[in-house]
Amino acid sequence: MDTLGYLGQGFGVALSPYNLVTALCGTLIGTVVGLLPGLGPINGVALLIPIAFALGLPPESALILLAAVYLGCEYGGRISSILLNIPGEASTVMTTLDGYPMARKGLAGVALSLSAWSSFIGALIATCGMVLFAPLLAKWAIAFGPAEYFVLMVFAIVCLGGMAGDKPLKTFIAALIGLFLSGVGIDANSGVYRFTGDSVHLADGIQFVVLVLGLFSISEILLLLEKTHHGHQAVKATGRMMFNLKEAASVFVVNIRCGVLGFIMGVLPGAGATLASAVAYMTEKRMAGASGTFGQGDKRGLAAPETAIGASCCGALVPMLTLGVPGSGTTAVMIGALTLYNITPGPLLFQQQPDIVWGLIASLFIANVMLLILNIPMVRIFTRILSIPNWTLVPVIAIITAIGVYAVHATTFDLFLMIAIGIFGYILRKLDFPLSPLLLGFILGGLMEQNLRRALSISNGGLEILWSSPISLTVWALTIVMLTLPVVRIWRKRSLQRRALADV
Amino acid sequence: MILQRVFALTLLAACAALAVMAWPYQAAFSYEPVGPRAFPLLMLGLMGAGLLYLAIRPTAIVRKDDEPELDRDTLRKVGLCVLLLLVFASTFESLGFIVSSILIGVPMARLYGGRWLPSVMIISLMSIGLYWLFDRVMEVPLPLGLLTVLEN
Repeated sequence: MDTLGYLGQGFGVALSPYNLVTALCGTLIGTVVGLLPGLGPINGVALLIPIAFALGLPPESALILLAAVYLGCEYGGRISSILLNIPGEASTVMTTLDGYPMARKGLAGVALSLSAWSSFIGALIATCGMVLFAPLLAKWAIAFGPAEYFVLMVFAIVCLGGMAGDKPLKTFIAALIGLFLSGVGIDANSGVYRFTGDSVHLADGIQFVVLVLGLFSISEILLLLEKTHHGHQAVKATGRMMFNLKEAASVFVVNIRCGVLGFIMGVLPGAGATLASAVAYMTEKRMAGASGTFGQGDKRGLAAPETAIGASCCGALVPMLTLGVPGSGTTAVMIGALTLYNITPGPLLFQQQPDIVWGLIASLFIANVMLLILNIPMVRIFTRILSIPNWTLVPVIAIITAIGVYAVHATTFDLFLMIAIGIFGYILRKLDFPLSPLLLGFILGGLMEQNLRRALSISNGGLEILWSSPISLTVWALTIVMLTLPVVRIWRKRSLQRRALADV
Repeated sequence: MILQRVFALTLLAACAALAVMAWPYQAAFSYEPVGPRAFPLLMLGLMGAGLLYLAIRPTAIVRKDDEPELDRDTLRKVGLCVLLLLVFASTFESLGFIVSSILIGVPMARLYGGRWLPSVMIISLMSIGLYWLFDRVMEVPLPLGLLTVLEN
């Protein structure tokens, strides 16, 4: 029952007028950022960190702002996939499959509001899941010592590789680059300067904001050069804006099923919204069988990925808050934001700062309701944003990015570093390396090294401490499963090909 | 394929150089068994192994449908864009935020296909607006540079 009391307290925090306005601004900014081509939740949240800091927001408001932006971005990505058939980010690819055909049929408004509704239900299910499981997990997480933490982080990184599927090697290399970069700067334990090249500016390491904005904003600017489109013509959202009860009822079961699925996928480190939406869509398509018109504007095909995305976005916050291990690129950015406020996510957060945790959970609820309400009157304005041409957009992104980076330390060194990282990120993207593992590695790197060193200090250098407790043994076992999964998959694909060749 | 090999080998060389750089990292006096050197070396070692494998057996690059092949023209544009960003970074403090962002914003808008007059107008308005928004409203200090004269 404690939990309910805390949740009430959380709503008290989130419903204060100040925080409500913050959440409203966050959802609006987030939706606009999510709409813009090339800018996803990672950029949106990263750009707002220095601004939230500069505004002097108290930590709980800042966190509420970032969470609202996160959800808003996910929502904005959906608008461009439904109206333009261009997914704003990877996770909304599945939404285009049935959302765009629906819009073509003249049901654009219905598709938009139905997707908002689905995502609301998904988030609702996930929030309930969070309320039920997060405190349990937090209690359990206290049993985690440094050795267990280290193993858990190895697992999180291996998970990314296993889930990424077709390019595990590149994912690992990207994660290792991130892990390595986290070691730049003064070593906290011994005071040794590492890889600074005697530069004062690198003494306290590569700034998180510099890395994120370089990797994602600058490289995106360079990528946008290749596409010479001048704004898009969106499908006009005319006619009925709101879905009716019958339509909502027809997808209700889908909502529930995909909500649970999305939550579980979101909690798993490294799986995230992209995988959740794909699995949800495929499952529903298979379950509908011949009765479905999937791919031609089936409402279930729209509801399934949207519910899963909504649920997994909230689910991804569970490992972040309870264990301090982010589940996705965006939550990695949010951890970066938390550390700026001197808040260390992890099991103790639930005991020491319950108002922050439960305020955040409650504000997720509220942000979802806001998105649902905002959707109906604002859609026409949002669609107009889609027609902003690249030539105005890109310089403005470049300038705002520079402001964000400059705001952290007020040195131009960071600007140069950001450009260098951006070029590196561009090359990585051209060579088909995924970038979010790099970011996750960067976030986890410091924690991983500290925990490894602490564990080995406890055992006085003996490596056996890393596999001495049942928890770490279990996690090692899971890690090995995750490591062998892609190998098995590739091997099976090859043997299938060979069989196909033999048949011919 | 060849590009990927070149990239993997370059990064591998960088790994080796960094490992050499990391070798002397040792705490003057230490109370823990693992020093500051072990973790970076471990990461570099693993990265090196992965890169070596990639250099020997590069994986195919999957392109999205809307992603055109890189040609000389795009590369030239990318180079120009990087150059503009570098100019921006180096003039950010000396010329001040407003002047430097107009200076690079307009050519950048041209690079992405904007016409002269609307580019100049929109970028100028945007830089002044952004300066006002961040420096005055949100109190993120931005350099004024050349325009300090206009203050007071």
